[in-house]
Amino acid sequence: MTDALSDTWQVILRDLRVRIRMPVFIFMSLFQPILWLLLFTQIFKALGGGAGGLNVWGPDVSYLEGFAPGVIVMTVLFGSAFAGFGTLMDIDAGIMSKMLATPVTRVSIITGRVIAAVTVGVVQAGIVFIVAAIMGVHVATGIPGVLLVFLLVGLLGIGFAAFSNGLALLLRRQETVMAVVNLFTMPLMFMSTTMMPATVNNDGVTVQILPHWLDIARQFNPVDYAVVGVRNLVLPDYYVWSDLWKPLVVLAAFAVVMVVFGTMMFRAKAE
Amino acid sequence: MSVIGTRGLTKIYNGEVRAVDGIDFEVEAGEIFAFLGPNGAGKTTTIKMLNTLILPTSGSATVAGFDVVKHPAEVRRRVGYAAQDVGVDERATGRENLTLYGHFYRLDNRRIRERVKELFELVGLNGYEDKMVSSYSGGMRKRLDLAMGLIHQPQVIFLDEPTTGLDPQTRVHLWDYINKLAKTMGVAVFLTTHYMEEADRLADRIAIIDLGKIRTIGTSDALKKSIGGDVVTLTPPAEKDEERQDFVKRAEAALSGKPFVTETKPSDGQLAVYVKDGAAAIPGIMQIMGSQGIEVKTIAMSRPSLDDVFLKYTGRTIRAQEGTQTTFVQMRRQANRRRNR
Repeated sequence: MTDALSDTWQVILRDLRVRIRMPVFIFMSLFQPILWLLLFTQIFKALGGGAGGLNVWGPDVSYLEGFAPGVIVMTVLFGSAFAGFGTLMDIDAGIMSKMLATPVTRVSIITGRVIAAVTVGVVQAGIVFIVAAIMGVHVATGIPGVLLVFLLVGLLGIGFAAFSNGLALLLRRQETVMAVVNLFTMPLMFMSTTMMPATVNNDGVTVQILPHWLDIARQFNPVDYAVVGVRNLVLPDYYVWSDLWKPLVVLAAFAVVMVVFGTMMFRAKAE
Repeated sequence: MSVIGTRGLTKIYNGEVRAVDGIDFEVEAGEIFAFLGPNGAGKTTTIKMLNTLILPTSGSATVAGFDVVKHPAEVRRRVGYAAQDVGVDERATGRENLTLYGHFYRLDNRRIRERVKELFELVGLNGYEDKMVSSYSGGMRKRLDLAMGLIHQPQVIFLDEPTTGLDPQTRVHLWDYINKLAKTMGVAVFLTTHYMEEADRLADRIAIIDLGKIRTIGTSDALKKSIGGDVVTLTPPAEKDEERQDFVKRAEAALSGKPFVTETKPSDGQLAVYVKDGAAAIPGIMQIMGSQGIEVKTIAMSRPSLDDVFLKYTGRTIRAQEGTQTTFVQMRRQANRRRNR
């Protein structure tokens, strides 16, 4: 056990060192979420609260405040979904088989990579959070809420980083993994309440915004659970503490299942 | 006591391709043992079974006192490995690469620092410890790769094609390091190569492997002596393939059964004639060729080389096989390489 922990720690250090030496990638992947934050809140400004606004997120909630939780989740999603690339690069460079010939605990090679990817993802989410705060987003639940936000997106990140590793080991080609990852990240985001709530309650009239099938589909989408959970913590008068257990349980289960998938693929496919 | 021992070790891919086909051999401590054979002969597969990267289909192998299937963890702790493609991380420094492996082999920090210093000296990379590996030359990477397999002072080191793609000078340097390892530190070195010269100069004993089978094992000298005498090579003036084949056939027919000829072997449109005493046999061969009206362009006599040994035991030259014969394993490897680009 101590061997596994020490090996995982070494793998994390190695991965983080490589990432920190290429800071341009860390900033490049921050560019998109921040751009969305700046751009979409302008485009959809009228949907939010305020004078003449449609109040989609509820009375007096700006579009920015309702949208920022989704962008924070998206930052971690995009950051972790490509975690499998590093593993493929190690395999292609012959680093993997050399490592496997040492007594290193097998599972550490995957867990270390997943933890490193999520660490970077959460730090990036933190930066997006700060940008959102500067733009005027205020976390209604305070410091405990912020920590819970990191827990939620961290669990989501673990799930997707592990999934990405499993996928990479299964598909074995960088181009294919790239295509598949792109194929699922965007739809997962749109098939959620990232940009729009499922229903809007305006002057006592409930309007269904998401089509019925999408409303059902999002029940199976871990991204939506993260977005809903984070939004609960950020928006004033929106959160109900007892509502938080559902995203937490679903995301924890998602993380566990994906870590099992990733390590199984690793045992089966990493030559 | 032998450090590596195999019994009927076999690897079958996809239920039909016998990449390694029932091999038996032993390697002693401090010995340099070479697998000599063309690409696809089963050399890498053998190494991967011995260092626990893949499981044998049947047979058994013991490395450093432990069975590779039953106690893989014990084996890994005692062996080092340098693959054909160097497995160094070029996005890290040399020291970081080595230190990571030190941790994987459970050395403490102080010991790792000592070993890093010793190993950089051993492989002649001192001064480059904290340079990024991306700035290393191919030969330097190969040496770092070797050092990474040595950090835990293994009893056995597996070197898969250690000098492929290196320039001659670097190759000779690397041979020195490998020799030092075995002779002054008592490490058993198991290496694979398709270079005759490498096996000849470096190895204490050589196993000739072809199509998954060991054809013969012995010291370089013993193998050459097993040919029994000299090799006289006859070359026709013809350039065209059929004419050369025809020459070989006629010359072989004319010489076979003659008392001074031990054996004849066609190779590459030439005829290799094994004789007890080359100098004495040449006049006789010339006379027979003349009386049969077979025109000979050149006649050359040589002490037997490993090339001749390879030809004798496999019926082919190692060079002729390169490129012409593509085995399944080779095709798979090429496909993998392409995919990895």
